[in-house]
Amino acid sequence: MNKIKKVLGDDLHKYTMVIALIALIVFFNIASGGKMITPSNFQNLLSGNAYVLILAIGMLMVIVIGQIDLSVGSVAGFCGMVMAIAFQKWNFPWWAAVLLGMGIGVLIGAWNGFWVAKMGIPGFITTLGSMMIFRGAVIWISHSISVPAPSELKWFGAGHLPEWGPAFTGMNNSTLLLGIFAIAFVIYAQLRQHARVNELHTNKEPLWPVVIRIVLGTGVIGYLTWLFGTGRPGTSFPIPGLILVVLVMIYHTITQKTRFGRHIYAVGGNKNAAALSGVNVQKTYFLTMLNMSFLAALAGIMFVGRSTAAGPSDGTSWEMDAIASVYIGGAAVSGGVGTIMATMVGGMMMAVLNSGLMLLGVGADKTQVIKGLVLMAAVAFDVYNKRPGHVSITKRLFNRNSAENKEGSPADKKS
Amino acid sequence: MKKLFALLLALVMVLSMTACGGGRTEPAPAATTPAAKPAEANSSTEAPAAAGGFEADATIGVSLPWLGTQNWKEAEEMFKSELEAAGFKPIIQAADNKVPTQQQQIESMIQNGAKVIVVGPIDGTQLGAVLEEAKAAGVYVIGYDRLLENTTGVDGVVQFGSVKTGELQAQALLDGLKAMKGEGPWNIELFGGGPADPNAPNFFKGAMSVLQPLIDDGTLTVVSGQTDFTQCATMDWDNSKAQARMDSLLSGFYSDKEIHGVLSPNDGIARAIITSCEQAGQEIPAISGLDAENESVEWVWSGRQYSTIAKPTDALVAQTIEIIKSLQAGNGMPATDVQVKNGKIDVLVYELPPVVVTKDNAKEVFANDPGRLALLK
Amino acid sequence: MEDSIILQMREIVKEFPGVRALDGVTLEVRRGEIHSICGENGAGKSTLMKVLSGVYPYGSYEGQIFYMGEEAKFKNIKESENAGIVIIHQELTMIPELSITENIFMGNEIVKHGLIDWEEARQRTMELMERVGLNLNPNTLIKNLGVGQQQLVEIAKALSKNVKLLILDEPTSALNEADSANLLELMRGLKSKGITCIMISHKLNEIAAISDAVTVIRDGRTVETYPVEAGHVDEDRIISSMVGRAIENRYPPHESHPGEIIFEVSDWCVEDPNVPGRMVCKNSEFHVRAGEVVGFAGLMGAGRTELMRSIFGHNYGVFHGGTVKMKGQELALPSVSAAIEAGIAYVPEDRKNLGLNLLDSIRMTIVSANLKAILRGRLLDSDKELQAAEQSRKALRVKTSSVDAGVTTLSGGNQQKVVLGKWMFTEPEVLILDEPTRGIDVGAKYEIYRLIHEMADQGKAVILVSSELPELLGMSDRIYTICEGSITGVIDSKDADQEKLMRLMTTTSDTKS
Repeated sequence: MNKIKKVLGDDLHKYTMVIALIALIVFFNIASGGKMITPSNFQNLLSGNAYVLILAIGMLMVIVIGQIDLSVGSVAGFCGMVMAIAFQKWNFPWWAAVLLGMGIGVLIGAWNGFWVAKMGIPGFITTLGSMMIFRGAVIWISHSISVPAPSELKWFGAGHLPEWGPAFTGMNNSTLLLGIFAIAFVIYAQLRQHARVNELHTNKEPLWPVVIRIVLGTGVIGYLTWLFGTGRPGTSFPIPGLILVVLVMIYHTITQKTRFGRHIYAVGGNKNAAALSGVNVQKTYFLTMLNMSFLAALAGIMFVGRSTAAGPSDGTSWEMDAIASVYIGGAAVSGGVGTIMATMVGGMMMAVLNSGLMLLGVGADKTQVIKGLVLMAAVAFDVYNKRPGHVSITKRLFNRNSAENKEGSPADKKS
Repeated sequence: MKKLFALLLALVMVLSMTACGGGRTEPAPAATTPAAKPAEANSSTEAPAAAGGFEADATIGVSLPWLGTQNWKEAEEMFKSELEAAGFKPIIQAADNKVPTQQQQIESMIQNGAKVIVVGPIDGTQLGAVLEEAKAAGVYVIGYDRLLENTTGVDGVVQFGSVKTGELQAQALLDGLKAMKGEGPWNIELFGGGPADPNAPNFFKGAMSVLQPLIDDGTLTVVSGQTDFTQCATMDWDNSKAQARMDSLLSGFYSDKEIHGVLSPNDGIARAIITSCEQAGQEIPAISGLDAENESVEWVWSGRQYSTIAKPTDALVAQTIEIIKSLQAGNGMPATDVQVKNGKIDVLVYELPPVVVTKDNAKEVFANDPGRLALLK
Repeated sequence: MEDSIILQMREIVKEFPGVRALDGVTLEVRRGEIHSICGENGAGKSTLMKVLSGVYPYGSYEGQIFYMGEEAKFKNIKESENAGIVIIHQELTMIPELSITENIFMGNEIVKHGLIDWEEARQRTMELMERVGLNLNPNTLIKNLGVGQQQLVEIAKALSKNVKLLILDEPTSALNEADSANLLELMRGLKSKGITCIMISHKLNEIAAISDAVTVIRDGRTVETYPVEAGHVDEDRIISSMVGRAIENRYPPHESHPGEIIFEVSDWCVEDPNVPGRMVCKNSEFHVRAGEVVGFAGLMGAGRTELMRSIFGHNYGVFHGGTVKMKGQELALPSVSAAIEAGIAYVPEDRKNLGLNLLDSIRMTIVSANLKAILRGRLLDSDKELQAAEQSRKALRVKTSSVDAGVTTLSGGNQQKVVLGKWMFTEPEVLILDEPTRGIDVGAKYEIYRLIHEMADQGKAVILVSSELPELLGMSDRIYTICEGSITGVIDSKDADQEKLMRLMTTTSDTKS
């Protein structure tokens, strides 16, 4: 137990969902006769869900500040449509059309942000309005007819990295390079952190957990590199997946490592206390809502790239998928709690379920039922684990001495 | 951290700009050859079975938009039983009218090793990338009931002539007006189908080619003046939206007038319109329909709905399966004289004729359909 | 003899993982008395009451409870309420958007033919309110009542349940002096009607005023229990058994060395944001010297908090004019962050709602008002954060296993230390403390006082807002008094006593001294 903690950190609880995700993947792989863990299916998992996961990044931040954004689907659809129309009908070059679409996203975000931050209207109501406005607007401007997208966009929505270099590697060399790069980064980051810990802290960390972490990290990345790189020639780690990974890194840093990120959690945890600590609550609301619509525009445009056309019903109920991912990832409805990484795991749970059930030939109707049940189960599990006094299931799995932990709550000590 | 991102971005850009001067052999660009020469259309290196057909027990994917209307549910059942009867392994999935779901379902069919994928698209323009992916994986793609647009990844489309259907709907409406409402001029209203469905504007176009001359000479009056497809369209083929529109038309334009006829693009919408008229205290108008849904067959029989149009799902499914068998045997796509531009390529289209059903001919039309025949009591 | 005992709790033991919250507590309450339970935060008072009321059901604790001569085995609150035991919690539990009647009969509605009989309910409400001395329309919404009135409604609700044993957990902690006095009077009245009361309180003067018996609990054990005569209670005896040592002086000795005037406020005018036209600060003027502790006295609603919060970056009210000077320089303070930047810190009175994000760890709380200090480049540096938190923990002697523990795991006193630590980390010149010792126990108070002195000794200007006059007299160098938004006077604390202060606090004239 202690050894595991030294490797993975004290908070093993956060790995529960990862373990569940891996279990789910393995289960589907067995049930489908090995069709789950294949290069092309993993590529599809990323390409086909990148847009939801990108929305989930923004949604996590919105939910952490204690708001909700129901308009993301409509905004994604609208921005995608504006982009397609600008390209098709107004003869914009494709990149200018994309910039226009993103710009519109930012403007819509500012609109939502204005009502939430300056006028104090709850996000639920504001974005319910925006949801209707932009769903209507997308039908209006498109005359309900799909508009073909610039073919360059297909690269963003469903593209692959190029093939190059020697063939003896037997895999896509772009993917291989990415993998090597990622492994190098893991090694560098681990060693650097180790050095800093030993420099600053009195209780030195031995070297072996670092080595194990590096071996683990290298193993996982190496395996994924191999998996993504050995698909059909011409395929690689997909571009939408790459965009997603870059966004996750950026937003993980923003939420965990910047003042703005800290402000988001402060506002969500206790708005009044945050205001009295010098946090500009309005600005935090505004920027978070703005960012959400920006990401919605990006997701919408990537989806259009994958679909090769912008349709009038693009984005319908995407907000629900994004919200579900965030809650499965353990965020709190009341705000203040949740991380990007956990949200991504939550989103991947949904994606794997979708993919696995489709591979098994389960219809969309039953898939929906199962997804609903999984959402409830995941959240109930999370609530159960966090309830004080209940011994978490992870702890039970790891802790041989769990018999000592009796019912009761440490929080109740104070009288 | 910042440096890391910069490096990563630079890497991606360099990679994407580098000419693909090495690495593993890429497959030949898929399906750029004109569809007119179907046997060669799939002769990419990745589809070795193309010329020689494929196993007789191969997996066949069928991706349907949803199961919310009777015709799709029937299609699902017929594909299942008939593909199985023909010795294939069918995977049939419906996407709940969500484009992303349909995209993923098609991907999972490729994943499951389907040799042919039959696609009844939700939106025929939005499956480009996945269909091209299917093509690249050596899978035949057949559009079902609706055209697959804006993609090179399609081998052929089986559908009822949609313009022809529209013409028949308009003709049925005119017949109904004469039979039910005496001499003209008549007051009518127009309804269109779901705008995301490429068939819907075609139905409307076909109908208007018949109706427009009569509107121009005053025989028909569209009281609301709404004659544009976008004005008349019904989002998502949603009956409740059609009913809401009819309610407002009746209260807005017909408080002192009688409505004689309505052009309806399908049965569900036709029933919604009839219900709306009844609730507004109007006589039931002459009306057109489509799909011969059970409920509407009963209504036609009882005289509440003047007409519907049967697009016998069994004929459509049978035609599709015939194509699949031809592909299996290595004979490529069967010949057809209709080709339609889909925005990227010319697509082979196999058109079937629809049949107008009124009370007078219902028994004949459904002579071979015991299920519907039982409704005619 | 046995007859006169209404409640007997014998050797109660309650364990939580890793902690023995109650370690053999014994309590005996006689029928018709007011019995006070004292103890430091964390001593186990609330846990004991939760055991009694069935929040912790029978079987989850060891020991026996005898109530009205029989062994009680309550499985939930409903059962204990049926037996006539009602707890009134520190945090009031009424629904603000509902009326007095609706709240009183919540969960206990008077039903006739399947429908609620509101006429009857209102009638009964009137009677109950009369018994607690309230004269209000029973349809008044709870949110429109003051805290004191809400407390009385809670008691009325308890009476509606035919209460025999009323437990009040810190009943006066949120009340002003007048309401507190009123409440104590009511308790005497209830006693005369044969209702037994158990009161948990920190306020020794209140305990002294009305108790018939006192039980002191420390570290989950009963230290002593003895009958007292109301009005003649030895407060020092209670204190010494609570903390386990004798406290000679509740305020640490300190010699102050005031320097230059560094903080000046003049002509400060602020309007109530909810009531247009009502000024909560009327031309307020005051100054603080470096190294000086300046007290602010005033009754509830006098405008002390409002004045401080409006100075702190216009955090409250509609600003109508006035200037703030720091070391002679006039400051513009348009926002809280500007005020922090300028070297002002404000520790709010309401710790849980305004002072802390209860989801945060100690470590995140400490740095939360000064994230700039832990930046490395543009990113937050977790090592700097850890160092800051550790330093704070040592300096303030926060009792915790780790700075990564959540703030909710701390007792009230330690939470308050963390809040102080958070503001000390902003390195302020002027520190405004609004009721810094509310709701914390004697031992923790003493430590907070020492910290206040330390900061003054470092040359900071300290403003201490408090409702407890002895605290102001014991801690401040000078005391300003506020009444209805006006500063009515300033006295050197050497020359001041409670009577003088009270007189100035209730002077309504606008004359400034």
